[in-house]
Amino acid sequence: MFSDFFLLSTRGIMHRKMRSWLTVIGVFIGITAVVAMISIGLGLERSVTQQVAKVFGYNSFLVVGKNAFQSPHSAAKAVHVNLNVIKQVPGVTAVAAVRSETGFVKGPSSAGKSRQGFLPVMGLSPTLMTEFSSFLGDLSFAPGGRFFRPGESNVAILGHAVATQLHAQLGYTITIEDHQFKIIGIIAPKTTGQGASFGLNRTSNADTIFVPFDQMNVLFGKSDKVLLTLVKTAKGTDVDTIAARVKQALKAAGDTTVTTVTYSDISRQISTVMGSVSGFLAGIAGISLLVGGVGVMNTMYTAVLERTREIGVMKALGARRGQILSIFLIESGLMGLVGGIVGVLFGLGLSSVAAAVIRGYFNVEIHAVASPILIVSTLAFSFFLGAFAGWMPARRAAKLPVVDALRYE
Amino acid sequence: MMDAVLRLEGVTRQYSLGKTIVHALRGVDLVVHNGEIIALMGPSGSGKSTLLHILGALDTPTSGTALIDGIDVKSLAERKLTQLRGQRIGFVFQTFNLVPTLSAQLNVELPMIFQRVPRRTRATRARTLLTRVGLGDRFSHRPNELSGGERQRVAIARALANDPEIIIADEPTGNLDSESGGRILEHLAGLSRDDGKTVIIATHDPDAAAVAGRIVRIKDGRLITTQEGVHV
Repeated sequence: MFSDFFLLSTRGIMHRKMRSWLTVIGVFIGITAVVAMISIGLGLERSVTQQVAKVFGYNSFLVVGKNAFQSPHSAAKAVHVNLNVIKQVPGVTAVAAVRSETGFVKGPSSAGKSRQGFLPVMGLSPTLMTEFSSFLGDLSFAPGGRFFRPGESNVAILGHAVATQLHAQLGYTITIEDHQFKIIGIIAPKTTGQGASFGLNRTSNADTIFVPFDQMNVLFGKSDKVLLTLVKTAKGTDVDTIAARVKQALKAAGDTTVTTVTYSDISRQISTVMGSVSGFLAGIAGISLLVGGVGVMNTMYTAVLERTREIGVMKALGARRGQILSIFLIESGLMGLVGGIVGVLFGLGLSSVAAAVIRGYFNVEIHAVASPILIVSTLAFSFFLGAFAGWMPARRAAKLPVVDALRYE
Repeated sequence: MMDAVLRLEGVTRQYSLGKTIVHALRGVDLVVHNGEIIALMGPSGSGKSTLLHILGALDTPTSGTALIDGIDVKSLAERKLTQLRGQRIGFVFQTFNLVPTLSAQLNVELPMIFQRVPRRTRATRARTLLTRVGLGDRFSHRPNELSGGERQRVAIARALANDPEIIIADEPTGNLDSESGGRILEHLAGLSRDDGKTVIIATHDPDAAAVAGRIVRIKDGRLITTQEGVHV
């Protein structure tokens, strides 16, 4: 039965080729826009999540001040963290911390003169390199430079801007708070967009002097106040469980102003943000879909008017209301579906091109995502959009008294 | 006496045309017997088409009774009325009214599709009927590839699709030349003569009247005379 009505519907569509195609185009433009928006949005989300995963690894988490990620200003606020408490939590294999202060720095003397001033000094655990190298980003030194070794003291790494200001070079000695430090590395200026969110070579660190973490106690007095703490967990353990344990242990030890941030916390936040962004964009694209829907409705109305007499004949030949309704619904649904198929193909193509452009221009590793759920739901939606648009005129057609329909000129 | 297949008793039909009420039929009594061939004649606006619509269960009377095979059409819900039309009545229209997108064969299959006849059965029957009306070589032709006479023969084949007892033809020769018209009338007469079907032809064509067993004349919504025709 369905196949017979399908045949009758397709004959109807093919009979009005030009108009049917115009209707299909109306739907396809809308679907293309929606699919492209969602696909690129999903791709962006995946790309950001993957970058975060790359930095975090899957077995590390952060200990930061509460609300650290809620405003850009609070992120820099140092909090009290007892590192020894963290180290003793079962499942924790390594801990690294970052402490930041401002110190009085004197550059190397040249002809009895040296440049001097107050500069940001950051203490970094040597384990950052061995255990949390991903956090350092694509750290690259000027030739000959290197990171701190465990147990090493009185050595410093300079951001490229501060090195220029102090006229300092590799192997030179600078003075921080009356202590002498040998320069073992100068961070090269950033050349790529990668590692922009994390890593030492980001632009804001160009003015910073880095020293081994333990020496901060010597320079600025003993303190447990740190900017952020990185914790690595043993293989095969659940990061979120260990993070909860660490949080509890710190709370027990009196560090109540801190919280933990795991990979899943961040990816959840990313999903929420990206979800609303792509939802908004898809909403805008949806407007064009609505216009397409109105187009289908217009075509179906005209088709019904044109075929009023034909409908009368069908009813005279014994067609029931439901049968006539089916023929028209299949016809309009089919136009929606074809528009949907073409739209999905074009949408995926468009988002792939957009992703390639973004990769090329912004150096961001992004790929359009062709999610099966997106494809299937879009196709179902476009069919129902078409069917719905055809519903009203089809119902009108089916309800028409036979005699009136037969008399229609 | 043959069985009455159609019986109208005091049938009236009124339409409202804006604020005006049109009395298309003003109390029609008519009995049509099984296997009869009737020519329904009358000037334009006489109520001929309205009467035909009521006889064909396309319309129901405003008052009075219309019985088809003893069933009062007014008592039937739309679904039942459609079923009655689909199974017991075949229509032939002046303007053929074939579906332009379908082949001759599919046009003949259409009434059978609505009655859920299996595909193979209806294809065979459609071909048999088309062959019978002399279109054995036109199965896959679309209406626009056929002459007027051929189109009307497809329409006759279509009217016979569900093997109905009653054939209603509204001006079947009105759009045809006399030669093609003559062939159509011959086919319709054959349906009554050879198959025992009841055939009612609304017409202006004197030739059509010539093949009828009985001529019913209508004027201003009333039957004026009925006379025995010359059966050829």
